[in-house]
Amino acid sequence: MTESIVSMQGIGKRFAAVKALDGVTFDIPQGSLVSICGENGAGKSTLMKILSGVITDYDGTLCVDGQEVRFSGTRDAEHAGISIIHQELNLVEQLSVAANVFLGREKRSAWLIRDDRSMLEEAGRLLKELECNVPASTLAGSLRVGDQQLVEIAKALSLNSRILVMDEPTSALTESEVERLYRVIAKLRERGTTILYISHKMEEVFHLSNQIVVLRDGRFIAQLETEKTNPQEVTRLMVGRELESIELGERPAQGKKLLSVEKLSLAWPGHARGFRLKDISFDLHEGEVLGIAGLMGAGRTELLECLFGASVLAPTGRIVLEGKEIRPSHPAEALEAGMALVTEDRKRLGIFTAMNVGKNISLCELVSMRSGPAVSNRKEQIASKSMVDKLLIKTAGLQAAITSLSGGNQQKCIIGRWLLTKPKILLLDDPTRGVDVGAKAELYRIIRQLCNEGLGVIVTSSELPEVLTLSDRIMVLSEGRQTALFSRLEATQEKILEAATRGFFASS
Amino acid sequence: MSSPNLLSRLWSSVELKLILAWLFVVVGTALLDSNHTYWTDASGASQLIIRRTVLLGFFALGSAIIIISGGIDLSSGSVIALSATVFGAFMILLDPEGFRNGQVSRVAVAAAIAGTLVVGGMIGTLHAWLITRIGLPPFIATLATLVGLRSFGRGLAPTLTGGKSQIDFTDTALRNAIKDVPTITVLFLVFALVLWFLMSRTVTGRHLHAMGGNEQAAKLSGIRTDRLKWLAYVLGSVSASIVGIISFADDGSAKPDIMARGYELNAIAGSVIGGCSLQGGIGTIPGTILGCLFLRTVIDAVSKVVGSGADIFEGMIVGIVVVFAVTFSQRGQRVSSKRYFDGGIGWTIIPILSLISGLLTMLFFGKQDWYGSSYAVIVGLIVAAALTSRAFWESRSARNITSSVTS
Repeated sequence: MTESIVSMQGIGKRFAAVKALDGVTFDIPQGSLVSICGENGAGKSTLMKILSGVITDYDGTLCVDGQEVRFSGTRDAEHAGISIIHQELNLVEQLSVAANVFLGREKRSAWLIRDDRSMLEEAGRLLKELECNVPASTLAGSLRVGDQQLVEIAKALSLNSRILVMDEPTSALTESEVERLYRVIAKLRERGTTILYISHKMEEVFHLSNQIVVLRDGRFIAQLETEKTNPQEVTRLMVGRELESIELGERPAQGKKLLSVEKLSLAWPGHARGFRLKDISFDLHEGEVLGIAGLMGAGRTELLECLFGASVLAPTGRIVLEGKEIRPSHPAEALEAGMALVTEDRKRLGIFTAMNVGKNISLCELVSMRSGPAVSNRKEQIASKSMVDKLLIKTAGLQAAITSLSGGNQQKCIIGRWLLTKPKILLLDDPTRGVDVGAKAELYRIIRQLCNEGLGVIVTSSELPEVLTLSDRIMVLSEGRQTALFSRLEATQEKILEAATRGFFASS
Repeated sequence: MSSPNLLSRLWSSVELKLILAWLFVVVGTALLDSNHTYWTDASGASQLIIRRTVLLGFFALGSAIIIISGGIDLSSGSVIALSATVFGAFMILLDPEGFRNGQVSRVAVAAAIAGTLVVGGMIGTLHAWLITRIGLPPFIATLATLVGLRSFGRGLAPTLTGGKSQIDFTDTALRNAIKDVPTITVLFLVFALVLWFLMSRTVTGRHLHAMGGNEQAAKLSGIRTDRLKWLAYVLGSVSASIVGIISFADDGSAKPDIMARGYELNAIAGSVIGGCSLQGGIGTIPGTILGCLFLRTVIDAVSKVVGSGADIFEGMIVGIVVVFAVTFSQRGQRVSSKRYFDGGIGWTIIPILSLISGLLTMLFFGKQDWYGSSYAVIVGLIVAAALTSRAFWESRSARNITSSVTS
């Protein structure tokens, strides 16, 4: 093909004792769209951070346009024409769109006074180019995620970036937003922008890219022409072994009814829609997995929070657990009633970084580990150890720092924390987010095992295949409403997607 | 397997570092003090330090629990002043005759102490309510009571004393009983032991740590965070009330306008020196006690070396000790690999720090006979030279890392 615009030679990076990258070498052809694939922890993000000047301390050399470069920071990289759009967007929510686009290099008129008008005009022009119909004076924080992303792209455009790194850009987008993003990407490529695209979604990778680079455990594995490969091969290269299709075996016979939810609604004062959830009804049996599918903002997390007494406002409607109506107003009451919630955002809402593995596991059940008024070390250790063994948590010991564990093992610790409370119902909010493929399969098996023990499980997921693999029944939410309830046999990806993107007015 | 682990944990603990630093200060003072007080009057000197440490320690422990649980209490100085006033007020109201004659009945004293502690509990409850129900940040809630309660005490004093702005402690025997150093030391150790047990051995203590480390996660784990906050703030205010009662006896009068002014910051300083993190979730009771002991010892050391008028320097010492203690106890950062004098700010600070060192030399030692008029300038220049060479060394080693990676 054409000559290469970026060339990586033996890039390596260590974080303390962990080798995040090791001798990664490959070239990126000018004007191409290269997908970077790999499991979590393969080093994709680290490599992109090096390329965009976020990480400045690494081994090896980086060449742009055939010239060796060593960026001293993101600004330096931007000068060389490289911009990155992070998965977690970097916008100052309290500032306007235009101010965000020009943040750090504000235009000035005579006397060094900030020239807001020309920035507004310029930002507005860029947004229009990107099919984004919001005024440049809007506050960035009030935009939808899809529009926020376009603001970041507009920023890259205003920098005249020749190389754009996109880190999982579609993970929070609706279908129409994804399509718009694809059109924007096509437009950028027409201009000759080189794009590095990180994604977990094979469909996307094969739809967009003309080359695929695979990383595994910080090493370069392969660089493939997209036309000459297929998703199976890429997955195999990513994992390093053939991924057995996850077959969870016989499903347990369904037991008696555990939970029934009738017309559950949650108000949303000050929002045009007026509700976060409206008239949700379903039930759950012993040994059953109910999957909840829906896009971001459909109300998945809110629904679990209502059941667990963690919503900001009290929901209306009835929640009946084993024949008794409950109205949990605090997680403590839900816990008492026999519920457990593994939260979506593990770092923010799950783990306690100042505590070790053992203490993270025992936290919810300390009361039963007392002898006299004091917590018994011995009882606590036995309990925590039992969960480490049951869930096969890989840790250097109960004293190890929770932060030294991988995402999957941290998640298992949190599941263990809740299993110690002997719940009847386990609520799992996107339990495999940020967990690599191998650990995912293990979590699936754990979920199945728990069902076999008679637990009722409600699981939400942002990945449809996961919902399809795990669930006995699948409920689909769209904009706070229940748009479908499929049995396992009826459900297909297409049907779920259709229901998840169905507007309420279209459906009624 | 566990013993080297234990040893390395002990070695890296804040407590051990504080003990070593404390020994260093004690030995240094014993050598530098021209009166050699630590040799000639060991019991007097240690009594002084212990009394000061205990008086600080009581409410610093309360403050530490609040900090560990993720909050902050700025009001303790005012709570001390108000509690002293309230304690006096209760005695005046319950036994006016006895108070005037300097012989308050024991029943009235006991009731006054109990009443004062209840007032402390009420203040803590007020804080908890402002924070959990009104939704004020702890900083704002306790800032309001910091200014409010002191003024409340100033209003209270004249109405009881017939117009005087202070209440005098008339009962000498009672006064001596309350301020007796061995008694308050034992009382303090018992108090500390109870709090240590609470924080490190009970479910509640674990939950307080969890809430301080991650409040949202704690709540989602079914922990009743509001009740825990109530407990923490009540402990904070009650411990300040205890200090109020003792200080009343110690000072001989309750002056709500100036008593214990600014002490809240000493309590926070003691906790932070003792290893508590203002982000919450991290800290220990023994560490806080050692932090207070270290702080008071350094203040005492400077007063011994400088001589009279040393109380002027107390604030400066607290400031310097806090900066040093937190700088050197930052986790995971080697002092040798940090770049303190990097960039524009780094170079600008060198003359500022040199100026401060020179001036401090003059202020601290100006009255000593050995002091020469040029010493301050010399010290300033030495500090400037030392910092400049460190700055050069830092920028060189930074360049070396880059070049060794490139080559």
